[in-house]
Formats: sequence, structure tokens, C-alpha cells
Amino acid sequence: MIRTVNLSKIFHADEIETTALENINFQVKEGEFVAIMGPSGCGKSTLLNILGLLDNPNGGQYFFNGNEISHYSERQRTDLRKGNIGFVFQNFNLIDELSVFENVELPLLALKVKSSERKARVNEILEKMNIGHRRKHFPGQLSGGQQQRVAIARAVITNPGLILADEPTGNLDSANGEQVIQLLEKLNEEKTTIVMVTHSQDHAARAHRIVNLFDGHIVNEKIERKIISIGTPRLMSL
Amino acid sequence: MIKQFFTLAIRSLLKDKIFSLINLTNLVVGFATFILLTLFIIGQFNWDTQNTKYDQIYKLQLFRDQEENAQKHSWNIPPALSRNDLLKIPEIEKVALLHDAGDNNKSGIFLSVDKRNQVLTRFGYFSDPSIFDILTFKFLEGDPKTALLQPYSIALSKSVADKLFPKGKAIGKQVYGENKVVFTVTGVYTDIPLQSSWVPSYLLSMNSFAPITQFKDFEQSYYDNSFYTYVLLKENADPASVDKKIHGALKNYQKSHYPYLRPMSHLHLNPFYDNSIYVVLALFSFIALLILVLSSINFINLQTANASTRIREIGIKKTVGFTKRNLLTQFVLESVFITMVSGVIALVVAQLFLPVFNNIVGAELFSNILTDWKIIGIVLPVSFLTGLLSGLYPAFVISAYNPIKALKQRYLQNDSNGISLKNILVTVQFSISLFLLIVSFIIFKQTDFMMHSDLGFNSKNLAYANITTNKKGSFDLIRQRLIQHPEITDACYSDYIPYVLPGGRDINWEGAPADERVFVRYYNVSYDFFSTFGIKIKEGRPFSRAFPADANKCLINETAVKVFNWKNPIGHHMRIDENDYEVIGIIRDYIFQSFHNPQEPHFYRLLNNDTVSLNGIFTVRFTQGTEKKALQIIKSEFEQTFPDDAFEFSDFQLLVLNENALRYWQIFRNISIFFAILSIIISSIGLFGLVMFFTKRKMKEIGIRKVFGFSMGSLYITMSKGFMKLLLISIVIAWPLAFYIYKTLPGAHKYPIQVNEFVVATLIILAVAVVTISYQIIKASKMNPVDVLKDE
Repeated sequence: MIRTVNLSKIFHADEIETTALENINFQVKEGEFVAIMGPSGCGKSTLLNILGLLDNPNGGQYFFNGNEISHYSERQRTDLRKGNIGFVFQNFNLIDELSVFENVELPLLALKVKSSERKARVNEILEKMNIGHRRKHFPGQLSGGQQQRVAIARAVITNPGLILADEPTGNLDSANGEQVIQLLEKLNEEKTTIVMVTHSQDHAARAHRIVNLFDGHIVNEKIERKIISIGTPRLMSL
Repeated sequence: MIKQFFTLAIRSLLKDKIFSLINLTNLVVGFATFILLTLFIIGQFNWDTQNTKYDQIYKLQLFRDQEENAQKHSWNIPPALSRNDLLKIPEIEKVALLHDAGDNNKSGIFLSVDKRNQVLTRFGYFSDPSIFDILTFKFLEGDPKTALLQPYSIALSKSVADKLFPKGKAIGKQVYGENKVVFTVTGVYTDIPLQSSWVPSYLLSMNSFAPITQFKDFEQSYYDNSFYTYVLLKENADPASVDKKIHGALKNYQKSHYPYLRPMSHLHLNPFYDNSIYVVLALFSFIALLILVLSSINFINLQTANASTRIREIGIKKTVGFTKRNLLTQFVLESVFITMVSGVIALVVAQLFLPVFNNIVGAELFSNILTDWKIIGIVLPVSFLTGLLSGLYPAFVISAYNPIKALKQRYLQNDSNGISLKNILVTVQFSISLFLLIVSFIIFKQTDFMMHSDLGFNSKNLAYANITTNKKGSFDLIRQRLIQHPEITDACYSDYIPYVLPGGRDINWEGAPADERVFVRYYNVSYDFFSTFGIKIKEGRPFSRAFPADANKCLINETAVKVFNWKNPIGHHMRIDENDYEVIGIIRDYIFQSFHNPQEPHFYRLLNNDTVSLNGIFTVRFTQGTEKKALQIIKSEFEQTFPDDAFEFSDFQLLVLNENALRYWQIFRNISIFFAILSIIISSIGLFGLVMFFTKRKMKEIGIRKVFGFSMGSLYITMSKGFMKLLLISIVIAWPLAFYIYKTLPGAHKYPIQVNEFVVATLIILAVAVVTISYQIIKASKMNPVDVLKDE
């Protein structure tokens, strides 16, 4: 599903160059659950941003579903991202002025889904995430765990083939963190590919495979358990 | 998606209520000002429109000496021309000849029902019945077809009728004019709207003119210059060709005069080919536009500042697949939404302030804005365009923001250096505010200058009254009685006085080529005219009782000497009305009518045998501070002398203040004060937004500085340095522009401009900036630096 060849990213600030990623060769197969680990500043989030089409690499190639997209324009990246990739963040990143329902509805609006269908799908996913009773509340009125469940609901509302989670449990206590990991596992069982950045060894151990980054390089890969199933490519087109 | 845009827009507005209030206030104040100014300007072009035949109505006027010489205009037309020649011109459908009843330049005439309760009424006219076919009058009582047919008929406006006949109908009743002539009321018409170039308060039938004034053969006079004429042209007639025919008819009698038809549409703003009023209106339109621009710039800054608190929303939206264009649309729509809402609120606010504004401009502009589609038709598109244009920049800035950064930061960082659009906007904003303030000061000072500057005579401590009487006798006897009182220092009698404009004649003078003539104004005055008014004698002497032969002498003014080009004017002769007058003195020029009119030659001769006759003005000078007592003395002395005549003494100063041009300037001054206050308010709002924007961008810097223990003072300098630099640039832009406006202001007498106006205005803007910056600094200093820095 995802393959990078000699991917590199350099940040320029005035006259200082910072190499965030260098010669990253990395692959994620359809239905895999991959954890990325590494110390602060090793390039985890940068890699995730590039994988999530939020940023372009400076060098190398990035194949997404077989297409080389490292040269895509912002507009092309947006189009490709829309509906195909879901994001989960450490700090949830919900819009404070929108209710739970409206936050989850957001990606469907970007896809111009009809109102009646939006309503049905949002309600369905909220029930599934066990947060339906809070649909009219605003993020400020929810606990951290509830907010992250809303964020996950938003990430999966379009049935994306890929979910990118950037330290999804970082701001949660262990109980809520466990709930989130279970949710991700459940999604993975339903054949959603997941790439998760985490600092937690325990949570990383729940993935099929752990990729360790250090100073912008992949230092080793560890297979945690067998990939349960490799289904047919199932990028949802809506 | 649109619904969601608006949900977000409304919730964002409600989230930071103070900010939203500032944002809306800025727009509402800006729009409301724009609406009121637009009303004022539209109002100026909407005069006389109550007349149904507006496009066919003309006033016949003339230029003396040459065509289109605004300084030698006259609205008076020889009556014989109107009577004998006009109706022979095929394009002319109707002609109405008019004449002042009494002298409308003076205080008016007294009307009464019972010879006791007098109503001093100005602006009455003798008129042909055809006036009702030309102009539109709405009759409440009587019939316009017959109202002015019979001699001694009077048609009253409703307000005069209400004063004379507070109870019951007026029609058929009798009215005394100056207790001397009896008229019968033949009609009552609704008051002519104030937005009319001619507002008669009553009309007398023209066929009573000759018996009342003893001017029997006026209809054959090609030389008299005291009648007015309104003309109704046939549809599609060409006024220029009619002008030629009228000139052809007059040239046998008055070769150098050019009569012309002035269309009704020009009678208010530009009756005599004088464009000065347009300069002022253009200036006001420009100011209206500037205020709109100022509000828009504020709005841009406030929106951009506010958007920086919404970058997370932008990051999320971009992440889930909203395109840059989606976001651009969202933020532009949001701006348009806010400006449209503000536009609607502004209409309501303008409506509420309309009475106040009407008061400021001394007119009744519109009574109901909210149902006036013309106004709404201007305001809504203007609000829409303002929203669209002002929304573009913030929307562009916001939507271009990198989603990764957007999700990580709480505040937009300052990543532009050098000349940014923001700096340009601040400079433009400072410049406009500064410019508006200076111009307001200039207009204020100019009006003040005209109200208080030297008129060339002493206009204070004078009382005057116009008395029409059949009693004749020596004025000197009255004067002697008056000046016995210590409160009264001098008194005079004359047919005209300063600010009451006399007529005159075109005359030939000693030493001039035989066919050369110049217009000279005549004054018939008593011995003490010059001393009473404090008019200075430049050369020679005033009239004196010590010289019995002074009845054949005259004084002229400096301008006359200049025009006649006399080296030694004393001893020269003037031939006036078949009599010969020797010049014995030259008076200094004084402001005789208005600040804006250039000087004209004047001729002063002694009143015939020093006698009080039919109609004249008494002027009395009293000592400073005794006005009340002096007026009592004057009243009782005059009541004894003229027991049968109505009169009322007024403060001469009022005559000066109510003079037309000055009245206009007073309106301009009021509007300027209004502008000045508003521009300060709008600028403060704008600066507030700007500084807020600036502080938000500098939050990280402030946080770091605080961690390292920098003082408030150093924070202050950091934050104000940039603004002060921009203010300096604004001075370079606004000062010369404001000076240019001073240079283009119309009028012959300009006040000497001083640097104070510029400095004070700049200090005010500076003070507003300092206060706003201080507020934000105090706010920022209360912030916990950890809050900003931990997000990094």
C-alpha cells in the first residue's frame, strides 16, 4: 500500500539545514498495523506527515497504492488524502466551536456527501465508538478519552484504507489509552491499515511490526506477530 | 457545507464576544457614516424634485457684461422682457413674473389679522397666477386656478396660515400687511419642502403690485432689476436656442446683458456657473469613501488577527481533505456575512441617528431610510463588496497556512519580514485617520475664521429693524432722543446695510470710454451711517451736518476707485439717476454680503433731506453689555415715534451668522466635527485590532522575554517601535494631502493655515496608538509565558 524509496526530508530555516529524514526505505502492506518508535526529534512525525500527504519529501520516491506521488501538488495531495487517509493526533485536534456530531461530519462535508447520508453515517460511527449520547456536546465538555474517541470516529468516518495515528495515547491515562489501542486493533481487524507513532513500548507491541527511527534513519525493524490477513486492496471510493 | 460555514462563523463570533463587538462596531460605525454622508450628498442633488414638471422648469437669470461670468450674475430680469417678449417665443409654454413682497433681503413684513398680533414673515412674493401651472403646489384650501386672479389676493403656506388663523379655516378671511393693506385669503398650500430652491411663505396677486408700490408702468421697464421670472418650456424644447431668442429680444435695450435659462436641476447647487459647492461635495464624497476604506482596513486587520486564533480549525480541515479553495470560500463568505449583517445594522443605526444628523446638516434629508430602496440599493452592494474585498486578504493568508504548522501552533507566527501587506495597511490606515483629522481641523478653523474675523466694520453691539411707515419726518430727531441714553452710542438710518444686499445700476464713470459700464451698488444713508457701523474712511471725510451742500456729494469704496482707475479720487464726479455727485470720501472695503463674494464698487449718498420714508432700516449701536436695556429703550422710543407701525429689532450679529455661505460653512463645520470624532473612533478600533494582531504574533517573543526577566518598558519599546515608524511614513503622506485640500477649498477669504492643525491631529493619533498599545501590553504582561512556550 505504501512504499518509500530513499525518501529524504530536509528543513531549511535561514541558513541552517536540518536533515529530518534520510534514505528511508519503508513499506506498509494492505491491512498491516505498523508502529513507529524512536526518540524525540528522530523524524517520526515528519515521516507520518509525508505518509499522510500533508508534506512533500525533498528527495526519493513515495508510492501510494502503486502511484509515485512525491511530486504531487498540494491540490493533488488534498484530493488523494480526502476519504483515503484518516488522522488521529495526540492532542485530538477537534474544533472547539463544533459539536461532536459536526466534528465527525467534517470529512464527509469535504467529500460533499448528501446531508441524509451524512447524518446516518455519523450516527452509526458514534454509536460504534460508544459516544452517541454525547453527539450534541462540544469538545470542551468531554474527557480526554472521549475526545480521542471522537477524533477516531472522525478519522474512520470515510472508511479510509489507511489511518495515521501520531501518539494517539500520549495525552491519555492508561485506561483510556488502552481503550484507544483496542479501538485501533478492532479497526485493523476490519482490514484498515494503521501506522502509529508512539513512545509506549506496550502499545507498540500490539502492532504487527515496529519500525525504529534514529536521527532520520531506520535502524531496525521488528516483526511482532504475523499479519493476520492480507485482503484485496480496499481503498474505499465513496 | 455552506450551513456549516455559517455555523462556524456565528459560533466564532460568539466565542470572543468583545472582539466580535469591536469588529461589528467598526463596520457599523463606518457603514452608518457612509450611509448618512451618502444621504447628505444624494439629498443635495434631490432638490426641487417635488415639482412634477421638474425637467421643463427654468429660472430666467442673466449675466451682466459677459456670458458665464459667475461674479456678475443676477437672478433679476427686466419685467418688460417677461411681459412682452417671452410668450412670443414658441418653445415657451408658461411664464410667471415674481417680485419680493417687501424686501426679502431684510427682515420680512408684518402680517396680522387684527392689526395687533403681528407675525413677522419673510419670503413673501407677488406672483402671476401662472406660477401654479409651472411649479407644483398642493392646495389645502381654495383653488390654484383662481387664487391669484383678483387684486389683493393672498395665498398662504400652511405654517403661515396656522400662525394667523390657529383655529378654523383661513379662506375668505382678511389679512393686514404692515397694518396698511388688506388682503383676502384665497388659498392655503402645504409648506414647500425645505429642499427647494424657492420657498415662498405666502403669495400675493401680481395685479396688486402696481397699486401697492406705486410702480405703475413696471411692465414696460427694460431697466428695472428687481423681478424674477420662472419659465416652463414645452417638452423637448432646446433651452440654448431659447436663450438666443431671449438675448435677441433684450439686446435692443441692454446690449451687454446675457439672459439665460437655468434649469431647475441646477438652481440649488450651481445657479450661476460657480462650481465651488461641487468642490465641497466632492470632498465629502471622498471623505465618505475614505471612512469606508478605513473601516475596511480595520476589518481586514481584525479578521486576520482573529483568524490567527483559528489556525487549528484550518489545520484540521486541511488534514481531512478540505481544499485551499474550500477554505478561501469559507473565510470570504464569513467576511461577507459579517459585513452584510453590519450593513443591515448600520441602516438601523443610521435611521436612529437621522434626526441628529438632520440637525447637524440643517436639513431634512430622508425620513425613513429603511424603506428607501435607493439607499438600501446602495448599502447592500457596498457591504457585499466590502466583505468580498476585505475578506480576500485574510482568507488568502489563512487558507495558505501549512496544516502541519497549523496543528502545532496556537498562534500564527510572524514569518514575514520587510515590507508586508500588513505594514502597508497600517500606513494607509494611519494616513487616512490623520488626513481626516487635519481636514476636519482645517474646515473647523476656516468656519471659525469666517465667523470671528474682521469684517471691515464692527458687527457687534448693533441692533437693527426694518420699518415700513407712512409717517415722514427727520431721522435726526429720533437719533437725538436715542443717544441721550448712555446705553446708546450711535444710530443711523439707511435703505440698506451690510449683509442686506442693495440693488444697483450699470453706470458709466468719469474718464471711461463712452460705451463702458460697470455695475455699482447704491446705498442711501443718513449722516451717521459710517460711524454707527464703524466703517473706516480711507481718504477724505464722511457726510457731515457742518456741510449743507453734502446732499450733492458722495462716498465710494476702495474697489470703485480701483475699477474707475482714479489716481486722486476726491473731487471726481459721479452721474447717478440724472444727478451729479462729487466724491468727498473713500471708505475702506468691508465684507458687505458674504465672505465668498468678491468686492464690488459701492456708491453712498445722503438720504433725501434726512427724512424717514416708506421703507428703511434703523440701526442702533449700544454699549457693550447693555444689550437688554438698550433694546428696551429702543423699543419704547420707536413705539412712541411709530405707534401705528409694526417692527422688531434684532441683533445684527444674527444677520452675519445666518448669511448663506456662512450657514453652509457652519454645516460643513458640524459635519467635520462629526467626521473628526468618527475618524478617531474608527481609528481607535482599527489600532486596537492591529496591535492585537501584532501582539498575538509576538506572543512567543513576549513569552521568552518574560522568562528572561525583561521589563515592561522594554516590551513596550519593542512593540511600539514598528508602529511609530509607520506613523512617521503616514505623516509624510497625510500632511501634504491635507494641505492640498486647504489650497483647493473654495472662497475668497481663507484663514492663514498653521502647523498646529497638523501637529495636534498627529498627537491625537499618537495618543490613540499609545493608549491602545499600552492596553495590549498590560494584557500581554499578565499572560503566563509557559502557556505560549509549551506549544512550541
